[in-house]
Amino acid sequence: MGTQKITIDPLSRIEGHLKFETKVENGVVIEAKCSADMFRGIEKALIGYDARVAQQVTQRVCGVCPYAHAEAASLALEMAMGIKPNHNGQLLRNLIVGAYQLQDHLLHFYILSALDFIDITAILQYQDDDDTIIALKNWVQSELKSNKIFPAAPFLPRYKALYAKDNNRNISAIKNYLEAIHVMADLTKAVAIFGGKAPHSVTIEAGGVTTIPTIEKLAKYRSLVKKTKNFITVNYLTDIVAVAKEFPEYFKMGQGYGHYLSYPYFPDENGENHMFVGGATIDGKYEELNLSHIFEDHQYSYYKDKPDSNIKPMSSTQLTPIDYEEFKEEHKKENGKYSWARAPRYKGEIMEVGPVARIVNTYKSGKNKKLIDLVDSVNAKLGITIENYNSVLGRHLCRALISSLIIDKLLEDIEKVIPDEVAFVEKDVPKNASGYGLTEATRGALAHWIQTDENGLIKNYDMIVPTTWNISPKDSKGTPGAVEKMLIGTKIKDPDNPIELARIVRSTDPCLACSVH
Amino acid sequence: MILSRRDALKKMFKVVVAVGAANFFTFEDLLALENGKLTKPNIVWLHGSSCSGCSTSFLNIEDVSVVDILTKFTNMVYHPDISLATGHQVVDILDTCSKELKNDYLLVVEGSIPVKLPHACIMSDKPMIHWIEQMGKNATACLAAGTCAAFGGITAMEGMMTGTMALDKFLGYKNINKPVINLPNCPMKPEHLIYVIFHYAKFKTIPKLDREGRPVRFFSQTVHERCLYYSDFQEENFAKKIGEVGCMLKLGCQGPVTKNDCMVIGHNNNTNTCIKAGHPCIGCASKHFPRQIMMHTYNDKRAIIKFKNSYITGGKA
Repeated sequence: MGTQKITIDPLSRIEGHLKFETKVENGVVIEAKCSADMFRGIEKALIGYDARVAQQVTQRVCGVCPYAHAEAASLALEMAMGIKPNHNGQLLRNLIVGAYQLQDHLLHFYILSALDFIDITAILQYQDDDDTIIALKNWVQSELKSNKIFPAAPFLPRYKALYAKDNNRNISAIKNYLEAIHVMADLTKAVAIFGGKAPHSVTIEAGGVTTIPTIEKLAKYRSLVKKTKNFITVNYLTDIVAVAKEFPEYFKMGQGYGHYLSYPYFPDENGENHMFVGGATIDGKYEELNLSHIFEDHQYSYYKDKPDSNIKPMSSTQLTPIDYEEFKEEHKKENGKYSWARAPRYKGEIMEVGPVARIVNTYKSGKNKKLIDLVDSVNAKLGITIENYNSVLGRHLCRALISSLIIDKLLEDIEKVIPDEVAFVEKDVPKNASGYGLTEATRGALAHWIQTDENGLIKNYDMIVPTTWNISPKDSKGTPGAVEKMLIGTKIKDPDNPIELARIVRSTDPCLACSVH
Repeated sequence: MILSRRDALKKMFKVVVAVGAANFFTFEDLLALENGKLTKPNIVWLHGSSCSGCSTSFLNIEDVSVVDILTKFTNMVYHPDISLATGHQVVDILDTCSKELKNDYLLVVEGSIPVKLPHACIMSDKPMIHWIEQMGKNATACLAAGTCAAFGGITAMEGMMTGTMALDKFLGYKNINKPVINLPNCPMKPEHLIYVIFHYAKFKTIPKLDREGRPVRFFSQTVHERCLYYSDFQEENFAKKIGEVGCMLKLGCQGPVTKNDCMVIGHNNNTNTCIKAGHPCIGCASKHFPRQIMMHTYNDKRAIIKFKNSYITGGKA
């Protein structure tokens, strides 16, 4: 077979523009390059805008997980103001953020990933009497008979590959795919009740949430979220287990470095005792979070500046992007720059962020008994250990575990809200102040830093975003980024249909608009 | 909740009513569209410099499953977040489509198009300017989904380095003469898109547009004119802080300078609007979004200096 190059460009069904290129020897990936193909420069543009504008603008970094940017921006500004949200403010924020994250996990599994495993054509064999499935079956049949150039788009064409064989599993997952869309709609409605709208909820501001939680709003939220509980705790997990039964090898495929970084997420009404802890697990050992360990490198990123592996947060606005001619030159080089993403490192290590980091760090910290019990019982059922979480299926499974923990918390928090009481603490924008805000976006650890000038306008801003950690290019030492590492060693059956690579990259739920912003 | 076909059609018709298309699009038309007597429009969706918010908004269209829209009422030839096609298959679809479906598809563009730094948005090793040009010149009409595609939005805010263009500007710059329908709002309201699609399915033309290329149907009035606090504004009952009942003009509300139908069709199946959620309108459908200062405190002197000659000073300026 010898050496060949396999490229997937664009990788669809993720957020944004992503290309990856692999060098394959005898059917096994030996080198991988992930290119983040979009750049906007939002941090630099924010300079000169009012400090409160950051909340609204940074949400537009990502239309899939905007809530997390709103939260991080507000936390950063609250630190600069020296305030905290009140009881209702914190709870409403949790209710918005939590419901949004549930919606986002479902979006990722069902819309973006499931049909890489589940066989959509299984529908042609459907014999039962569910109207919706029959309608879909008839549609697929008539499409396939038609003389259209792309029959059954957008569900076909797809990679020719081995999909799940068991038709009952396929049908049940397809049903859930269709139902997930309604569940997601219910969850976005729940978000909009307190957020105003979704995506891009306006109401999360430094100081709390602007919505007044009337009895009517609380009741509506409660009933919407309750309605989705069964789907989230039962159907979602069932489908992941079904995929695991069909593709057990994916508990071993897509292994990364196994170093995990996460930030404190989902506090109680006092803004403390987070459900998921912050911290880092390096070589299997958990340690508490220390932001001074974060540095960025940009050897392989599209910037003019001299490569430096010691860039601290808040200095990225000083970097200048390369122009189009330089870009074309870099692409001609053997070892040229290849991504808009920079390469953040923690203690010099390459960290994976996301659902596994959230679960593993919290598990190892020993701080959340409910989470530990859940992990232990699911692992016992599946015959796996927490080490298996370092895999494609591990990532999907952790999202489902997180979702079931969050939905319970939401239903607890809603009862604690005091009806009709203002959830917002009024405060002028701070002058010559600075702060940072940490949270977990759907895709992992998210940090914002803000500095204001004498008019309360933004003097400097920085974001280090989850997908930047995962999708980072090589650093100046030449060490591959987190996702690049996951691809190395992967066996590819059919170079024309490299579905293994797509499954691995999609398992990290990349969000490219976030990663470069 | 699995819907039967009849229920699904009924719900779909509810959307037709909700988006204001019922005066031209009857239930019979809906049936005709479903059984193929009315041609389903082909749609190609591309992401420029975007955040996927408009796609997410479209995916979450309430009440009607997006799958119904995809299978019964349109041919979604390509959508970056829904299509199973991956890698070279995507390029094949786009190339084939621009030849075989020439002048027979609607191009939906989400996000703006970076021109000064073309490499700031790349797909399959080619800058977005290439793709939008190729797909735009062969489309029947182009839809700018969301504020970035319509007006530049966040991607064209002061201080951006990418030199990005809204869709109609870009097509003009490339001398491509195609109708462009602007659907500003950040993110785009799915109802607006559905309205245009139904209109196109029925008449094979685009709806009536205003000077900014927006459907008159949705963008003829400002948010302020239909605001639930309009009477408070007239009575000069201004909210002095968040949580107070009253017109939020003096907390930074952009309603008076933003044309949109939020007070008629709220967000997320009319679940809420920003103003009903206690937040001043941030003007996300406006050409001037994002403004330098949005929400602020009642006594914010900076805002008064900054917006000295506009609406903020007296409310009646």
